[in-house]
Amino acid sequence: MESIRGKTAIVGIGEVPTGIYPERSFVEQAVAVSEMAILDAGISKDEIDTVIPVLAVANPIDNANMVCSWMVEEMGLGGSCKANFVCGSGGSSSSNSLKAAMGLICAGLSRAVLVVHSDRLGTGLDMGAAIAQFAVVSMSQEYEIPFGFSQLALAGFLQQRYMYDTGTTERQIASVVETLRKWAALNPNAMLRDLRTADDVLASKVISSPVRKRMMNKLADGASAFIVTSAERARELTDRPAYILGVGSRCTNFTATEGQGDFYKTWTPAADDAFAMAGIGREDIDVAELYDAFPTFILISMELVGLCGKGEAGRFFEEGHAAPGGRLPVTTNGGMMAQGHTGAGGGVAVLVEAARQVMGKAGERQVADVKYALDTASGGIGMDFHVGILGNEV
Amino acid sequence: MEEYTLPLPLITTLSKVFWDGCRENKLLYQHCRDCGRVIFFPKHLCPGCMGHNLEWLESKGKGAIDTFTVTYEGAPPAFMGVTPYCVAIIRMDEGYRMMSNIVDCDFDALACEMPVEVVFAQVTEEITLPKFRPAGG
Repeated sequence: MESIRGKTAIVGIGEVPTGIYPERSFVEQAVAVSEMAILDAGISKDEIDTVIPVLAVANPIDNANMVCSWMVEEMGLGGSCKANFVCGSGGSSSSNSLKAAMGLICAGLSRAVLVVHSDRLGTGLDMGAAIAQFAVVSMSQEYEIPFGFSQLALAGFLQQRYMYDTGTTERQIASVVETLRKWAALNPNAMLRDLRTADDVLASKVISSPVRKRMMNKLADGASAFIVTSAERARELTDRPAYILGVGSRCTNFTATEGQGDFYKTWTPAADDAFAMAGIGREDIDVAELYDAFPTFILISMELVGLCGKGEAGRFFEEGHAAPGGRLPVTTNGGMMAQGHTGAGGGVAVLVEAARQVMGKAGERQVADVKYALDTASGGIGMDFHVGILGNEV
Repeated sequence: MEEYTLPLPLITTLSKVFWDGCRENKLLYQHCRDCGRVIFFPKHLCPGCMGHNLEWLESKGKGAIDTFTVTYEGAPPAFMGVTPYCVAIIRMDEGYRMMSNIVDCDFDALACEMPVEVVFAQVTEEITLPKFRPAGG
């Protein structure tokens, strides 16, 4: 089979500031980012013949409406749109939407695909309802919920075992938070832009050991969108598209218990596939946009994807190599820890940031001379692992 | 019996076998007679070979802590009144993993790989939860 390396590209991106915006509706956000992405791409909206809305966590009614072509109506795509389907794989919806778009375009079934995510985790549900919802999603009602499991407990599990296996210190993990805050300070769309030091993090109380209060992400309202088209069309639109060079994925499990111990290891084969498709090496990556939610997740994925050796990621962060000016900038939008956690949108935001860096549109936080960007995504409670590689030339 | 207010397991045709076992203080797991795979959570099909030739075996109830966390805050709503508590994933000697609570222990002394053994806690007429404590404790 002929490789689809570099046959497609992201040509337009859109994003609204992440934060607490009670009066900004779900559809207002979705329309705003779709418009931005279309204008950024410089295409006619009528060229968009596939719309993929990403499932929202906090907006079940709006999800149902999205299936019924709400965005097609709002954006006036009624004459051109031929396919409209929701992607619902949690944090990996970004990567799964991207792969669907690649396939549709390479098969000649679509010219341009709009992927749009909007969610209101900050205000869409009241705090009690949000806590109750996150207390049960992606968990077994038979064998996990009766023991008081939570998504926060998962973060505790992973950090506990990771520290045990690698000797990574709490200060090193806290330095991930500090690094992400430094990036967020340069990101006008980020929610938490004030600096937080590793000392601040270590001074905060333990919530679910060994996770401390200031290692937690922030639920937020937000939206982002991107447009994928063929490489051929991309070259007509811009001299700097973000070509999609490699993708790799593994889906592993539903619950944390069934996946624990093995599931994170599938970052490695996912990355191997992505690098093999892209035809480049780990050393070629200029910027890594790693999906976070919690600081340890970034460290684990960084090692298993192969961007540093086993047990070395914590020191890499502590020494500042992942921060602005460092030798391998990581998660330059601030991630869910600092840009804000918008559910599945946290993953879309990371992918949009990878495209932004490759397209040279990252403003104050633009990394110099980005040729290749790597992004990761995972959904549910570590149910799947995705690696993407974007580049500014084929 | 004091009223138990925390979430109880969902009982299905499959999980009923496991929970009936717990009520008799037996910790059950599945084994595929065809390919030898050890299975937990219980499944309708063997995820190894897709076979239906599954049997239930009784675990010896011994294992080691794969990982754990002690939750002080941010617990699911129903558990807010019982913090702090330890939730853990236990790697059983038979080769499967299960989630449970570690009880009868000093939370500060817990560690990954610590040996643990099952203890059964009857919480309602119908339901007995398998919990774990440090082995030999």
